[in-house]
Amino acid sequence: MWETLAQAVINGLLIGGIYALVSIGVTLIFGVVKIVNFAQGEFVMIGMYISFFLATQFGIDPLVSLVVSMPVLFLAGVLIQHFLIRRVLGPNDMPQIFLTFALSLLLLNLSLMLFSANYRTVHTFYSDEAWHIGGLYIPVAKLIAFAVAMALSGLLWVFLHTTDLGRAMRAASQNRDVAMLMGINPNRVFAVAFGTALALAGAAGSLLMPFYSAYPFVGQVFVLMAFVAVVMGTLGNVMGALVASLMMGVAESLGIQFVGADSGLIVVFALLLLTLAFRPSGLGARRGR
Amino acid sequence: MPPSHRGNAMTGDRKPSAINNAAPTKASRTKLNRRKFLVKTGGVLAAGAFGAVPLRGWAADPINIGALYPSTGSMAQIGVGCVAAAKLAVDMVNEAGGIKSLGGAKLNLIVSDVQSDTTVTRTETDRLISGNKLSAIHGCYASALTLIASEVCERAHVPIITGSSSDQLNKGRTYTFTPFARASQFAKAQLQMAKLVSEQAKVAVIFENTAFGTSTSNGLKELAPGEGVEIVMFEPYSAGFTDASPLINKVKASGANTLFSLSYLNDLILIVRTVKQVGLNIAINGGSGGFVMPDFYKNVGKAAEGLQGVAHWNHDVNDDAQKVNVEFKKRTGEFAFEYAGGLVAQTFMLADALERAASADPKKVREALSTLDVSSGFAAMAPGGKVKFGPDGKNVYGRPVGVQWQNADLASIFPKEDARAPLMKT
Repeated sequence: MWETLAQAVINGLLIGGIYALVSIGVTLIFGVVKIVNFAQGEFVMIGMYISFFLATQFGIDPLVSLVVSMPVLFLAGVLIQHFLIRRVLGPNDMPQIFLTFALSLLLLNLSLMLFSANYRTVHTFYSDEAWHIGGLYIPVAKLIAFAVAMALSGLLWVFLHTTDLGRAMRAASQNRDVAMLMGINPNRVFAVAFGTALALAGAAGSLLMPFYSAYPFVGQVFVLMAFVAVVMGTLGNVMGALVASLMMGVAESLGIQFVGADSGLIVVFALLLLTLAFRPSGLGARRGR
Repeated sequence: MPPSHRGNAMTGDRKPSAINNAAPTKASRTKLNRRKFLVKTGGVLAAGAFGAVPLRGWAADPINIGALYPSTGSMAQIGVGCVAAAKLAVDMVNEAGGIKSLGGAKLNLIVSDVQSDTTVTRTETDRLISGNKLSAIHGCYASALTLIASEVCERAHVPIITGSSSDQLNKGRTYTFTPFARASQFAKAQLQMAKLVSEQAKVAVIFENTAFGTSTSNGLKELAPGEGVEIVMFEPYSAGFTDASPLINKVKASGANTLFSLSYLNDLILIVRTVKQVGLNIAINGGSGGFVMPDFYKNVGKAAEGLQGVAHWNHDVNDDAQKVNVEFKKRTGEFAFEYAGGLVAQTFMLADALERAASADPKKVREALSTLDVSSGFAAMAPGGKVKFGPDGKNVYGRPVGVQWQNADLASIFPKEDARAPLMKT
């Protein structure tokens, strides 16, 4: 019993690390640029395809291809922010929602056309490996993904708290208008925030590739969880999104284990409802606000 | 694709008439234009004559066979392989001298893309039948599409022969022929295979909570007691999960020695990998469909070794099948999967029927198909080795074959009569 429980928690934490990379991206964009990026999942998908093609064409390990997928998606993020998002920022939310939603549909159908609906996997030497400790096991590929995800989240935290640009981003996220008055260049801050968020999605894609299949709809699987985590961890709060993602992973795993294999999401949404009922602004909200 | 002769005649007709209309506007050059006119019209007459001769059909007219397969969309992967097999089959029949009773007439394959879509399947089948003089149709591999194509064929009185396994195709239809094992037979074979692994078969059934998963799993549940198989776990899961670990944890706790996974490819890959990671010693039966395709091994790699499944055809059933496999491999680089090999057999069944009917008339071809009875040659290369259709269009000898992934290839291991390799213990 304890063994099963411990295993379920391990499984949940490991997949929660991936959810975290996706949800941190969403929450960062929301916090700084104040838009909801519905296309975040599609950028995870693009990250996966980048890793897939680098692995099959050039024999590059998916984890190594992180150094390609992250810069490529960062650049894509900066360009999308500059040429698309910047034009719809304004008092009205609707154009922003339509824009990112259209972007999601466009990328999804474009990849269907280019790559077809087939599942593509990369088989690395550690894909099927696992460490056995007592009666428990830890899949190597997922452990690496989790470790890198946590390291990247840590780096982002350091960036946000110690660099000028990072502080500017946090300032913009706390109060955009005052930040502008203090001389922060919004376009630059927004572009970096959007680029960073997409780079994280790309990282998630590359980290997933050794143990998950790439296909055009793959982003949708992860983005749902990410949105739940973002809401639960308070919109715009990076730390909140990270903690909530890990919680969601564990909740899903426990749900499958102890409620029913088709009930993972039921537990997740029940938890979300409870959180919203008792702490409407999420777990990451400061008290008294 | 319309027949080429007719197409040529039409375009030949149009071009000169446009020049003809333009001619009177330039009055000063009437003579030249008249000459031009004569040359052009002469060309039209000649083109018309050339076009018309083969259409009259006094010589060995080619016999049109329609092929309905999804070569685009979500089912394209298997569909494209089917088209390659259909072309191979037609080449084989034609190289062997065509249909002798019709003066050595060649088969002419007319391929139509049904785009993995039921609505497109209906319109494409209609278009294929109304636009061409067809003797028979084969397709569409996927049951959802085949059911619709079959309905259209029934109404148009054109026989359709298919590798689809849906039992519904054998209900109230007279122009639909299914030479291979039916879905209901697959479940039974899977349960019997569980007993190959252990006399005391304890099976865990996990299935995605969709129509496909629920109906197939219920079939297994009903048949299990009769086959002496105990089902120790029966669990639906949400298709498209991110992590199979919790599910496999449950399988481990159930104490099963065989796992039936009724899943689509992506989930199945995750499940197989997780079983390996957990180090769980359990026989896995992945069923049919995507599991018995070359792509499955490419995706899963060595972890696929020893996995079992069921198919309606396998390339090692007999020597003829082996020959087809070699040729298919040469053309596509992959071994002949169940639908590909089955399709070659189906084309030879059609050739046999055409030979006996001595007519390209679809109604006569249907008559001949209904009295088909073969036990040798390419038409009979199927598990069981014989084909004869009952009144419901079902091959009375049809049965599935149990297969196992061995050395990156699919080996037939069940039943005894069809086994070509021993069961590899995992």
